[in-house]
Amino acid sequence: MTDEAIMEAVKNGKLEQAAVLFERYHVRLYNFLARLAMDKEVGEDLTQNVFLRMLKYKHTYKEGARFQSWIYQLARNVFSDHYQSMKRSMNSKLDVEFLADKVADVESGVEEEREARLHQCLHLLSEEQRELLVLTRFQHMKYEEVADILDTTVANIKVKVHRAILKLREHYFQLEAYD
Amino acid sequence: MINETTQQKVLDYIDGRLSAEERKQVEQLLKDDTEVQNWYEQMKEMNSAILSSKEWKPSAALRESFSAMLQQELEVEKKSKSIFFNPVFYRAAAAIALVIALGSLGFRYSKQQAKDAEILALRKEMEATRALVFALLENDQSASQRMMGVKAAYETTRKDDAIVLALINVMNEDANMNVRLSAVEALGKFSTEAIVQRALIESLPKQTDPAVQIALIQVLVQMKELGAVQSLQKIIEDESTIESVKDEAHAGIIKLS
Repeated sequence: MTDEAIMEAVKNGKLEQAAVLFERYHVRLYNFLARLAMDKEVGEDLTQNVFLRMLKYKHTYKEGARFQSWIYQLARNVFSDHYQSMKRSMNSKLDVEFLADKVADVESGVEEEREARLHQCLHLLSEEQRELLVLTRFQHMKYEEVADILDTTVANIKVKVHRAILKLREHYFQLEAYD
Repeated sequence: MINETTQQKVLDYIDGRLSAEERKQVEQLLKDDTEVQNWYEQMKEMNSAILSSKEWKPSAALRESFSAMLQQELEVEKKSKSIFFNPVFYRAAAAIALVIALGSLGFRYSKQQAKDAEILALRKEMEATRALVFALLENDQSASQRMMGVKAAYETTRKDDAIVLALINVMNEDANMNVRLSAVEALGKFSTEAIVQRALIESLPKQTDPAVQIALIQVLVQMKELGAVQSLQKIIEDESTIESVKDEAHAGIIKLS
């Protein structure tokens, strides 16, 4: 059964079907939100909120709409509500040198260190750039899917992802130089 | 300098988005141009770091709380259905409508009564905000709720000692670094209070996370808190302190002296 058919059933009162959608999407949404928030614990809270909204606002799901886009839009709203008014002072205080110190503190294998560096670089990007890279590079979504979620054109997404990748590369190798 | 079109082509090549002919063109370019070749190698290395990045697994608590939430929603749905189909519901609704209609016909507030009601409503609203702040701050299960609590505390317009004490407690004890950081920022708003000044100074040696240490130093410097100099000196002398924090402490001492 497709996600869309299940969501239609949920909308029409078969709430218990929501459990199937939870199973299909909770890990992806958790990874999306935890990576955006850069906090695993907050990521779980926000994921929980997404599913709560899915149940509360089930009537807003439009027949024929792609379920993935709809639930990710809910997730974006949850994230934005949580962080928009909360000043994220971390970003202003972090610089590459500071992060390099933090990386050096981690006593772990090469792989783990490389991954830690990657996430620290993601943290240095703007929220929009981080979101685009999480969706396209970490969650392997096609540009068409991302364009649908963000309600924009594929060409626009392509240009923005390109810029985000270049920025990530800049931070990544700058940070590597500190290792 | 590699132009944007070439960069995009190489990226598409790495992502496997090119036609056979375009692939050949890029491969030729990689052979001919060492700058492009180096750029390609770097992108490939970063891409492989992304690809090998492991998916994070949420804790079992997420599934449990979803099940509880779903169960609750199912019960609410069931109840609302049973009330809606009950004839008593219609009788009760008709009675309420009648009371409202009659009430609105004859009821007039005097100006004074309206004013009293307004003050009462404001007071109730303030009490409700206060209760909300505490409920959020005390939620051990949810860091985001505690952050909301800190934010709500920050937005309270009147100084409330109990809220300030709760914020101090969060700054020193909360398990989540982001929550502690928010508490430091929120306390900055009440920095004219002696109790807050003392708490911020005392918290400095207790904090171990660099981000929280830096935020604290910045708040103390902003407050021109001379009492912090000794703690800042200790931070500089402490071998376990990372360089960025030491730098911030150095700068802090210079600004304060």
